Amino acid sequence: MSIYKDAKYMDVPFEEKQKLFDQVKGDMRWDHIFNGCYECGICVAACPSARFYDFSPRVFVQTLEREDIDTFYELMNDSVWDCSQCFSCTRCPRESNPGALITVMREVAVNNGLNSAKEALKAYSRIIYKIMSTGTQVAPDMLQPDAFPDWGPHVKEISDNLEYWRRALPPETLHTVELAWDVSVETRLELFMIWKLTGNLEMIENIDEGIFMILEEVMEELLEEHGYDLDDYENVIED
Amino acid sequence: MPDLPVMVIGGGPCGMEATRGISDLGYNVVLVDKAEFLGGNPIAGDYAALTPDMRNAEDAMNEMIEAITDNPLIEIRLNSSVVAAEGKAPDLSVTVKNGKGDEKIDVGSVIISTGFQHFDPGKETQIYGYYEYDDVITLVDVERMLKAGKFVRPSTGEKPKQVCFIQCVGSRDRQIGNQWCSKVCCGIATKEAIEIRDLVPDCKVFVFYIDMRMYGFWEDELYWKAQEEKQVNFIRGIVTEITLRGDGVVVKGEDTTMGRPMEIPMDVVILSIGMEPSKGSTEMAKLFDIPLESHGFIETIGGALNTVQTSAPGIFAAGASTGPADLEDSISMGGAAALKACAFIRKSQLQTA
Repeated sequence: MSIYKDAKYMDVPFEEKQKLFDQVKGDMRWDHIFNGCYECGICVAACPSARFYDFSPRVFVQTLEREDIDTFYELMNDSVWDCSQCFSCTRCPRESNPGALITVMREVAVNNGLNSAKEALKAYSRIIYKIMSTGTQVAPDMLQPDAFPDWGPHVKEISDNLEYWRRALPPETLHTVELAWDVSVETRLELFMIWKLTGNLEMIENIDEGIFMILEEVMEELLEEHGYDLDDYENVIED
Repeated sequence: MPDLPVMVIGGGPCGMEATRGISDLGYNVVLVDKAEFLGGNPIAGDYAALTPDMRNAEDAMNEMIEAITDNPLIEIRLNSSVVAAEGKAPDLSVTVKNGKGDEKIDVGSVIISTGFQHFDPGKETQIYGYYEYDDVITLVDVERMLKAGKFVRPSTGEKPKQVCFIQCVGSRDRQIGNQWCSKVCCGIATKEAIEIRDLVPDCKVFVFYIDMRMYGFWEDELYWKAQEEKQVNFIRGIVTEITLRGDGVVVKGEDTTMGRPMEIPMDVVILSIGMEPSKGSTEMAKLFDIPLESHGFIETIGGALNTVQTSAPGIFAAGASTGPADLEDSISMGGAAALKACAFIRKSQLQTA
């Protein structure tokens, strides 16, 4: 039962909310990033997101401080993704760390496949795929005049001759168009094994099954192509 | 050796420390208290533990009582009231009344340490239904329960699941007429909140406040401890009303820092009542012809530099008779008054010699 008259998500079972809260509080970082809140507002004053959105790092800490499960669930749904993770809020005189608490809350949202996490990460599908399969993010071929009109009139000229411009860069590893730099097959495979063994792959499966399936297919093919057995990961990493 | 004693009126912590100080300085002292025991409010109110160190209140008071017992320089008169005073210090004749009758005692100086009384939340208008609902109690009622080693819901005798403190009841309120902060209620409520969490670990505890005044070491030793280690919920926003719902009460208020309306059922509501001038304090002011300051406490005229000086030479006031005071304040002022009273007698003797 919420303490607020205007509480939201009261149709979600309390046990479900409590489970998520327990995961946040049970995180090994909790004791280092949480020291209560006397609501001074220094974190909000320093927060760039709070300037532009209806967002307050203070509300996160005081909600966690109060162990107010219903409001905690509201935050997990409504504003946990509004933080820019800049950590300007770490000037907290109590040495609480709102940004880090939000990091933990986001991880719990992702691990539990919360809708808010799916929504927030939808726009990042391509980036997630690129990072997880190659370790690079922004690629030269993203430089399209219609995608980024604010980049100016020269973008068209550059994008028409992208390969030519890339070749003008001295390091050979940057003579790439589809990737930010040349990534070796070994690096890609090692990266994939890291995602798999650390549970990141599983986390993505909860959030974006499509990306997960493509990723697994592409990478397993690559592994097979180079004669690696997916289950014999020690072999992959040693090579 | 000086002939005339100092009279200390009021045997609470302040008066007991004054008494001890006077005798330590080698002067005679008569300690008068209208109660049949020493220890003042901590004993009369059955305080369980002291703020902030959680020391057993009775033990602490017994230590003070022991320090002034069986001392030839100290005369203790219990069940006694001061009813008249004639002359001017150092030639004062004070009439003390007890069951046997009146007795005039010649004294050289007087220390008034008549303390405070707890604000009565039903005194003028009913506040928060204190006299209406069994489960609405005060800080003092909680002390009484804690002293008995328990904390239960008064209406059922069962362990509560959710309780709250409402701060500043009878303090900081122009409508009630008490504009002062009573200084100690924030600390005491927080101390009790910790004790309740220890006694009833699955009970949620809220503290509704205007400002938390946790000065000095109370900040981290009580306030932060209560928040960080005992999960006490401090919410800025005062309860506007308490209503009956089912067999319990519901508190209504605004969580001001969240900007949201609250409505929370409570098993027990604890009113953090403040201090008012005690009847004894106003009576003694009148009797010794000392003005009251604007809030109704005994006026001291030395400001921050002399906390116990009144406008009447040789008559000193100390502790919560002069305004809200915590135990440290009261005992420090008791010591200061002892020094000043003895110095007053000594100076007058040097002048007449």
